Amino acid sequence: MTQIELRGVQKFFGAVQVIKDLNLKISDNEFIVLLGQSGCGKTTTLRAIAGLETIDEGDILIDGKQVQHLKAADRDIAMVFQSFSLYPHMSVYENIAFPLRAMRKSKSEIDQEVRSVAKTLQISDLLAKKPSALSGGDMQRVAIGRALVRRPKAMLMDEPIGALDAKLREEMRAEIKRLHIKQGSTTIYVTHDQIEAMSLADRIVIMHEGVLQQVGTPDEVYSRPANLFVAQFVGSPVMNVADAAVAEKASVASVIVGDAPTGFEFPRTLLSKLNGHASGSLALGIRPEGVLIRRDAADGFMAVETQIVEPLGSFDIVDLKVGSNMLRARTKSGFVAGPGEKVFARIDPTQAHFFDKASGKSLEVRL
Amino acid sequence: MAAVRTGGEIALNRIAIVAVLVVMIVFLAPIYWIASTAFKPRALATTVPPTVLFQPELTPFVKLFTKRVQQTKPVDPATYAAAPWWEKAVYDGGERILKVGDSPQLSPYPDRFVNSLIIAISSTLLAVSMGTLTAYGFSRFKVKGEADLLFFILSTRMLPPVVVAIPMYLMYRAVGLNDTHIGLIILYTAFNLSFSVWLMKGFMDEIPKEYEEAALVDGYTRMQAFFKIVLPEAATGIAATAVFCFITAWNEYAFALIMTNRRAQTAPPFIPSQVGSGLTDWTVIAAGTVLFLLPVAIFTFLLRNHLLRGMSFGAIRK
Repeated sequence: MTQIELRGVQKFFGAVQVIKDLNLKISDNEFIVLLGQSGCGKTTTLRAIAGLETIDEGDILIDGKQVQHLKAADRDIAMVFQSFSLYPHMSVYENIAFPLRAMRKSKSEIDQEVRSVAKTLQISDLLAKKPSALSGGDMQRVAIGRALVRRPKAMLMDEPIGALDAKLREEMRAEIKRLHIKQGSTTIYVTHDQIEAMSLADRIVIMHEGVLQQVGTPDEVYSRPANLFVAQFVGSPVMNVADAAVAEKASVASVIVGDAPTGFEFPRTLLSKLNGHASGSLALGIRPEGVLIRRDAADGFMAVETQIVEPLGSFDIVDLKVGSNMLRARTKSGFVAGPGEKVFARIDPTQAHFFDKASGKSLEVRL
Repeated sequence: MAAVRTGGEIALNRIAIVAVLVVMIVFLAPIYWIASTAFKPRALATTVPPTVLFQPELTPFVKLFTKRVQQTKPVDPATYAAAPWWEKAVYDGGERILKVGDSPQLSPYPDRFVNSLIIAISSTLLAVSMGTLTAYGFSRFKVKGEADLLFFILSTRMLPPVVVAIPMYLMYRAVGLNDTHIGLIILYTAFNLSFSVWLMKGFMDEIPKEYEEAALVDGYTRMQAFFKIVLPEAATGIAATAVFCFITAWNEYAFALIMTNRRAQTAPPFIPSQVGSGLTDWTVIAAGTVLFLLPVAIFTFLLRNHLLRGMSFGAIRK
């Protein structure tokens, strides 16, 4: 049973503030992913929780107890590093046994626990090897084993699979998830890879320039991004964002993207939901799958010209020219043969997001 | 891609091999000279042209370790017959070994040699351990004025040490440190420390911080992490630094000459002091020199694997 809480945490490196008033509650057994670009403060936050970095203000609580003044060794937390950091002069066995030796456990107890963890991670046959003889995936398993063996209050992982190649990364991602379900421990995982975050997290914490942007389940941050940063950071291919103006046209609302001559049709309720938000400071966000295209003209569809087509196997991404803007749409593979084709497009109002351009905040318009 | 060598490349390669051989001969010739002299009969040591082929003998080493005087009259045949081979060798040279009772009197050489060992080993241990700790501090913590401090440490090497020899001698005499082991140990430690700090700093910087951080999170104190994780990782650097410090302390001549004369005198000032007046026995000096070369050669040989790695260690960027 481990809860971790951050209260008003601030951290400076010289004059640079890397964590700005961070508040976060992590409940028992939760798998939290800190997501953000490099330099956003996510790793610093993790290191602060581990006790490898001091904080300048605020509290870090583990199970309700303030730990910000405790040494790393006294916080009962395990950490997996991106570089794995296996001790090169020790065998795999010694590496896994190392945290247990700090606890001054008996030889037989250590042996039993090392072997049991090795079995869980399927590395029993590697115990006698030196880390330098291991593959990247096995190093990772050993690093996780070393973290698990002590049954710590919480597991911290700093881009643990960032150093592996793409295929192995996918395998290890599944393995980490399986392990978490099986072992169940409060886990904080740092990554810059939004796919990793989406696939692993119970809740994702998105950070940008030291400021927490949004906390939510993968579905929440994907379908209801709190601001423009989250909208564009989460999801691949990236969400289209363009300046937009809303006009009233007969019985519908018309959303004009950039300097396009005509607008996309939206339900009339959009007008009341925007509640008079000035058109000049409005941005429209729409994921490629929310841009619907067809070959023949239909009611509500706008004629557009295709530009680049990116075939991605299971689907294609097609760039559509709307005024001087480009809207990326997701289509079936091969739906559009190439550039210069004339197709008809419309925006799915239920998937559209509206943001205030100045603050970047979502206007929380749901249609 | 199979490398096909052009005629020019082959010629260049041959020139390189010849150049290496020439350099090797230049470096090894003095060592061959001194080593061969150490096994020569005295009469052949100074012949012109030099004698290359001779019957090697151990007489110079016997003479090196014993106190001898010139024989004024021929040795009694019965005494000669009863003498062991090494004593006969001395009689053959027209000398006899001085004795206390039945056991031969030793020359000062073994004492001087042991002095060299004590002083070089102690100062190396001190310089390397202090240097390692200092380097760790500089490498891992934010030290105020780090660059200035490191420069200051290095600046102790900027004057030729002999410049301060006389003032140092006066200071040492005032505090009673002249001609003591501890005096030379302090001197050599101080002299090697700057070198040790700089070299170890390079090695420490190469050891990823994450190793210690992993140990800290695994439940160890920083001190434990240092001894259990950092030191084993730094073994290569420590070995390389130790070899350099040992060689410097072992070979040091000028300070040893000025600061010591008897009790704590090391081998470097002692060996040439035997050149002395009158007839110099070069074979004995050569024997002393050859033995003096051995500890450094053995020490370096034992650590050769670490050294080779150590030489290239700092150059690789990961």
